[in-house]
Amino acid sequence: MAELAIKGLRKRYGAYEAVRGIDLDIRDGEFTVLVGPSGCGKSTLLRTIAGLEEISEGSIEIGGEVVNDYRPRDRDVAMVFQDYALYPHMNVAKNIGFGLMARKMPKAEIEARVAAAARMLGITQLLDRLPRQLSGGQRQRVAIGRAIVRNPRVFLFDEPLSNLDAQLRDEMRGEIKRLHQEISTTMIYVTHDQIEAMTLADRIVLMRDGLIEQQGDPLELFERPATTFVAGFLGSPKMNFLSGTLARSDGGDAVRIGDVLLPLPRGRGVDGAADGQAVLLGLRPEHLTRSQGEAPMPGFHRHEARIDLLQPTGSRSYATFRLAGEAVMAELQAHDVSRPGEHISIDINMTRASLFDGASGRAI
Amino acid sequence: MSEAVETTMRMESAGAPPRLSSLARWSDRNFKWLLVAPAVLLILALSIYPLLFSLVVSFINYDFQVPGHAFVGFKNFERVIFDPVARWSLVLTAFLSGASVAIEFVLGLAVALAMVRNFRGRGLVMSILIVPLFISPVIVGQAWTLLLQRPFGPTNYVLSQILGTEVTISWLTESPWLYISLIVADVWQWTPFMFVILLAGLTAIPPNLYEAAELDGVNAWQVFWAITVPHLAPMMLLALTFRLLDAIRMFDTIFIMTGGGPGTSTYTASFYLYTIGFTQFHLSQATAGSWLFLIFTAAVVFLLVRRLLRAEVT
Amino acid sequence: MAVAATRPRTRGRWGIPVGRILLLGFFLVFVLIPLYWMLNTSIKPSDDYLAVPPVWFPSEPTLIHYEAALFTYRGLDGLINSLIISLSATVLSALLGTLMAYSLARYNTGGQHLSFWVLSQRFLPPIAIVLPVFLIYRNIGIYDTHIGLILAYVVFTLPVSVWMMFAYFRQMPKSMEEAALVDGWTRWQAFWRVAVPLAAPGIVAAAVFAFIACWTEFFFALLLTSRDAFTLPTVFRAFIGFQGAQYGEAAALAIVSLGPSILLGVLAQRHLVRGLTLGAVRG
Repeated sequence: MAELAIKGLRKRYGAYEAVRGIDLDIRDGEFTVLVGPSGCGKSTLLRTIAGLEEISEGSIEIGGEVVNDYRPRDRDVAMVFQDYALYPHMNVAKNIGFGLMARKMPKAEIEARVAAAARMLGITQLLDRLPRQLSGGQRQRVAIGRAIVRNPRVFLFDEPLSNLDAQLRDEMRGEIKRLHQEISTTMIYVTHDQIEAMTLADRIVLMRDGLIEQQGDPLELFERPATTFVAGFLGSPKMNFLSGTLARSDGGDAVRIGDVLLPLPRGRGVDGAADGQAVLLGLRPEHLTRSQGEAPMPGFHRHEARIDLLQPTGSRSYATFRLAGEAVMAELQAHDVSRPGEHISIDINMTRASLFDGASGRAI
Repeated sequence: MSEAVETTMRMESAGAPPRLSSLARWSDRNFKWLLVAPAVLLILALSIYPLLFSLVVSFINYDFQVPGHAFVGFKNFERVIFDPVARWSLVLTAFLSGASVAIEFVLGLAVALAMVRNFRGRGLVMSILIVPLFISPVIVGQAWTLLLQRPFGPTNYVLSQILGTEVTISWLTESPWLYISLIVADVWQWTPFMFVILLAGLTAIPPNLYEAAELDGVNAWQVFWAITVPHLAPMMLLALTFRLLDAIRMFDTIFIMTGGGPGTSTYTASFYLYTIGFTQFHLSQATAGSWLFLIFTAAVVFLLVRRLLRAEVT
Repeated sequence: MAVAATRPRTRGRWGIPVGRILLLGFFLVFVLIPLYWMLNTSIKPSDDYLAVPPVWFPSEPTLIHYEAALFTYRGLDGLINSLIISLSATVLSALLGTLMAYSLARYNTGGQHLSFWVLSQRFLPPIAIVLPVFLIYRNIGIYDTHIGLILAYVVFTLPVSVWMMFAYFRQMPKSMEEAALVDGWTRWQAFWRVAVPLAAPGIVAAAVFAFIACWTEFFFALLLTSRDAFTLPTVFRAFIGFQGAQYGEAAALAIVSLGPSILLGVLAQRHLVRGLTLGAVRG
């Protein structure tokens, strides 16, 4: 177990720069998820930590030791690959024990450790099988077992669940979370799936174009996104973005979207922003609900809507309507609306609304 | 489960593997160069060095019949260039390889088209058709000699029976028959080469293209020109290039079937250079000639192969 | 290669593809006739040589030509030399080729220049190489030795081995070797313990084609060997020019020599396209 410090890391492939200056500190035992769209440099970053890619600039420290010039073998990290990378010509037991063999560990100890890891993952009965005789989920467990058995300083996961079907993915996600709670080793996990990121992470590092867009606690990123990119990336269905202008007055601040004025709750600071400034208002679908009661609660704005499109999922219904000409999606209860064309009133929770600068996309 | 958890908790860190010795560290750092070194050194020693050596030899006197190794400038090259036999051998090389490859291409394409659909016994037919590829050209020459040589070979007898008149062709000594014999032997050996590559190309054409054409009511001939040929073009180019570059080295079958004769009438470039160097021992003249031949070949390689393989590999 | 595309059918009046059967039939006969006549000649008594009509089925098959070819004409020595030289060259070529191909495929060593330089060796005219090699071999004393021809054959087959294996490693995922590196092994160990076992089918295929190339090679053997290290194909020199006397012996020796290469070739059929195109085309 060890903490990890990355300073000014850059990785170039010829003229193309995949990682463009990353600073990141990861605490001992922390579960960090690197998330972002494909091509954002998250896998490259992970591979530089493993030592599989040389870095162009900067430094990587593991446990206080600069490991820039260390071979992968000397870094004492373990990695679970996207395609599992099991050795096809070795059975499960040999696959798991292969790393211990490299350490010239006595045979008996290797066997004991392999057996313990297999028990932990519930794959004891598979030890004699070859990888091709295993199902996807079983291969995944073997790949994890290969890492556990060494008890490395850092666990690296490179999109480990992307080759599994949806149901198995949910199951394995839970297992990985449980594993971290049990062995509490530092783990770094790469994914493009925001649900995996939200559910697994102690800390999310959201990357874009080789840079960190925002990092922090999952709920912090979800609730206080630093940019429209973060806000749009996390959450499903996606946040609604409405472009408008800021209307500042002594009576309170508001956002003007076309001919609709949405007052911001008192105490919602918009310091430094000028009256009439172009802004983007971010509204999550779950913060738009069907009105109840005579008047909206404080901080809520009531809007009369005509539902254009209705997408029921069973537990929820996604209803799309127009607000000053722009399409907005609300996540309603299943029976709030029965058919498109219906007129209902919707309360918009402005206390949870996000506000971004219209030009830079940064949060206000 | 809780019991298992305890086992893992007690599992100590295995740590990093033992440190490497300095030699192992050095070899790990230079791993990629160490891997290519043996092959590169061997090619340098047995191909590049000899080529450079022969370049030197081609500018000096290196002749088992004339003593001394004096510098002679371009004299060796001049001897080759002004030798009518050399020029004839180049023309013959172009003619024989061109004619053989053209016939092999047409025949190979026809057989590939006939083989592309599955039928009973296709595997066996396939195995038989590729056999010539695994036979030494010397043996191919020997086999056709057995068939063609008068009076032993049965060819004239069979032709006489078919045509109803006495046929007495000297297949291996009489022009133009000896050229035809050489081409037939080459076609026999190398048509499978064309066939195998073109068949691989044909099977790679997506079948739905043909289905779509069939629905559109296009006839077979139009389908061939509109779908098959354009899709097969890269493969055709590849097969023709590879085959041509081998065909211009033609030597073995000539050595066995005609020995270059009668006279010098079946001298190809390789056979000419062989004769100059190894039966007349004008080594410097032969190396000069082989450099000229090498330059001809290199031009083709750089023009065709580089472009072709870059497209295919990536 | 077993996939057959659906093509518009050209069929005769009775639904039989007449043209196709005729073409394939003709070509099959064309391929088989020389082979049959050679076999026939090899077991035919010498008295039948000039019979008219020709003897298609020898009534009293004999093996005397085989005996003469192997012992009188030293065919057996040629066979043994061929085995020693071809097998050694094959092992070396497959080994060196695999090493180099791995480096090219995984580390892009030397960029495209190095790989194309190796490939260009394949298209050099042998005559350009063999003349100076002959002189060099005579000077250092390995003319007409096993080792001399083995080395020449390794260089001669290396481009094919390298490029076949290059293509093979390229289509193999590299994550297994990376897993081995992270697991604590060195690059060499990851190569030897993980990549090589996984590439074994490709290595065997490359070796088969190297063997066939060596086994059937004539030109180098003709010029770099003489009375001691001569290979099987060069024994055929003995049968040139004598009007008819040694037909049976020549045929018998040919039949003996055919066996190994045809057997291996047909067994490795699956890899044939890769072998013929240096890995450029996957069959």
